[in-house]
Amino acid sequence: MSVGAAVERRVEGSQVRRSAAKYAAVVRTQLAHGLAYPGDLVMRSLTILIFMWVFIHLWRSTYAATGQTSVRGLTLNDTLWYLVLAESITLSKPRVATAIAQAVRDGSVAYQLSKPYSFLGYQAAVTVGDALVRGAVTVLLGGALVAVMVGPPPSMLGWPPAFAAVIAGWLIDFCMATLIGLMAFVVEDVAAFEWIYSKLILVLGGVLLPLDFLPDGFRRVAEALPFAYTTWAPARLFVSPDPALFVRLFGIQLAWLAGLALLVAIVHRQCTARLAVNGG
Amino acid sequence: MAGEAVTGGALARLWRRVRAAVRSVRVETRFVLALWRVNLLAALEYRTAFISQVVGMMLNNAAFLVFWALFFERFPSVGGWGMPDMLQLFGMTATGFGLGVVLFGNALNLADIIADNGLDAYLALPRPVLLHVLAGKSRLSGWGDIATGVLCFALTADPGAAAWGRYAVAALASMTVFVSFLVVVASLTFWIGGASALSAQAIHAMLAFATYPLTIFDGTAKLMLMTVIPAAFIGAVPAEFVRGYSDRSLLQILAAAGVSLALAVVLFHRGLRHYESGGMAVSAG
Repeated sequence: MSVGAAVERRVEGSQVRRSAAKYAAVVRTQLAHGLAYPGDLVMRSLTILIFMWVFIHLWRSTYAATGQTSVRGLTLNDTLWYLVLAESITLSKPRVATAIAQAVRDGSVAYQLSKPYSFLGYQAAVTVGDALVRGAVTVLLGGALVAVMVGPPPSMLGWPPAFAAVIAGWLIDFCMATLIGLMAFVVEDVAAFEWIYSKLILVLGGVLLPLDFLPDGFRRVAEALPFAYTTWAPARLFVSPDPALFVRLFGIQLAWLAGLALLVAIVHRQCTARLAVNGG
Repeated sequence: MAGEAVTGGALARLWRRVRAAVRSVRVETRFVLALWRVNLLAALEYRTAFISQVVGMMLNNAAFLVFWALFFERFPSVGGWGMPDMLQLFGMTATGFGLGVVLFGNALNLADIIADNGLDAYLALPRPVLLHVLAGKSRLSGWGDIATGVLCFALTADPGAAAWGRYAVAALASMTVFVSFLVVVASLTFWIGGASALSAQAIHAMLAFATYPLTIFDGTAKLMLMTVIPAAFIGAVPAEFVRGYSDRSLLQILAAAGVSLALAVVLFHRGLRHYESGGMAVSAG
């Protein structure tokens, strides 16, 4: 091994560390920003209580009507804790597509591109930072309600894998939302695409209903699409802390994340090539 | 003789008051009709945007109906409710909500208008403030909700003029309760300051509760949904009236609409006395 190659590798390693530290600092900044107004944070997170209160009544009636304690491997307790996490993941993520489309439309993307960080890396760090703060409060509020009215949460053994899957889910969602936001380079208004995407997440992502309860054909289609891995996979892992299931679902999450990240990078490169900045 | 003169004078005063009230109602009706006409013409000016918003909202509503269709595929009945009942409930809520945001579009952001001194522009004009501010804006997407509601009704209800008549009455009552509830919540801004977040949560709650079967809730919850958050009078009770006429359900929806409207008007005008502003040079709309 030549000394030159070793030095080159050390420099590269230190660059990666510096880069990771930079985005970690963005995440920390967003966490601090989110916690700066705790009253506002809690107020905006109260929606989970309304949804969970309705869901508790709905699923109690539903399980009572079936006369079974478990449906498709999920008990009433599992279903409601699944919904706590699924709703929290959805309610806590920021509106990435809108933010990116707005930056493209008002030209501020040019300002952000000139900064010493990757535009996409920065947006991803902001997304994770924002979602972590709000997600934590939402899970606490929704979880408290379900714990009091239904029962205790699933085994703590499942929490770390579920947390990793939640982060992967947010990043998959970030990639898809970024693709929609970048469409602002081509079309004036991306709101319609964002709307359709949010509904796909609602039904095919398992936000309102665990995919396990869907008819078999529909479920197979849903599991083959990336939407399921933003919400259903983390929430399912939370209530079923099974190592084999974790390996399978987290593996699929990473595969989708790699594919979508590559696609985002290609589209971003093509879009910025079209960018024309006049003065400013 | 003197007694007759006094009675005659009192009757004349009463008659003058009634005539003035009738004239006032006529004038304000013409005014609000003119506002709605202008709002509609403005919407039709950008036809593509109008159509895309209507179709978009119908697709949005379809996502929830798909959810219920999938739900009932696995669980055929919940609290005695099946898919046709859900279509009726969802259709009624969508119609009431749609009418509310099309005809009184500012109801959704009334709390922001009050907090941001936006009433200044309305106070300077010689029209009823509440009516003017509410009808000053129309939300195009509401037409998509109305279309969804009519479609759900047409798919599930018995055909006939009587059913359509019941549907129209129920939809107007549902709209009245919905808009009045938003006014009541927004009016809290006069006393507690920024109630925007509270208002947003109230809208979430109202729509969440109104689109689920009333039979899944227990006694205390049902009582709450008929009083504090009157979601039952936006979806379930009007839908029951549409399914089959009964004096009881007609009385319920009319009483709910009357009481909530009166409460909204009184609370808003009481609150208006507390309204303070630094002065804003803005136009009403």
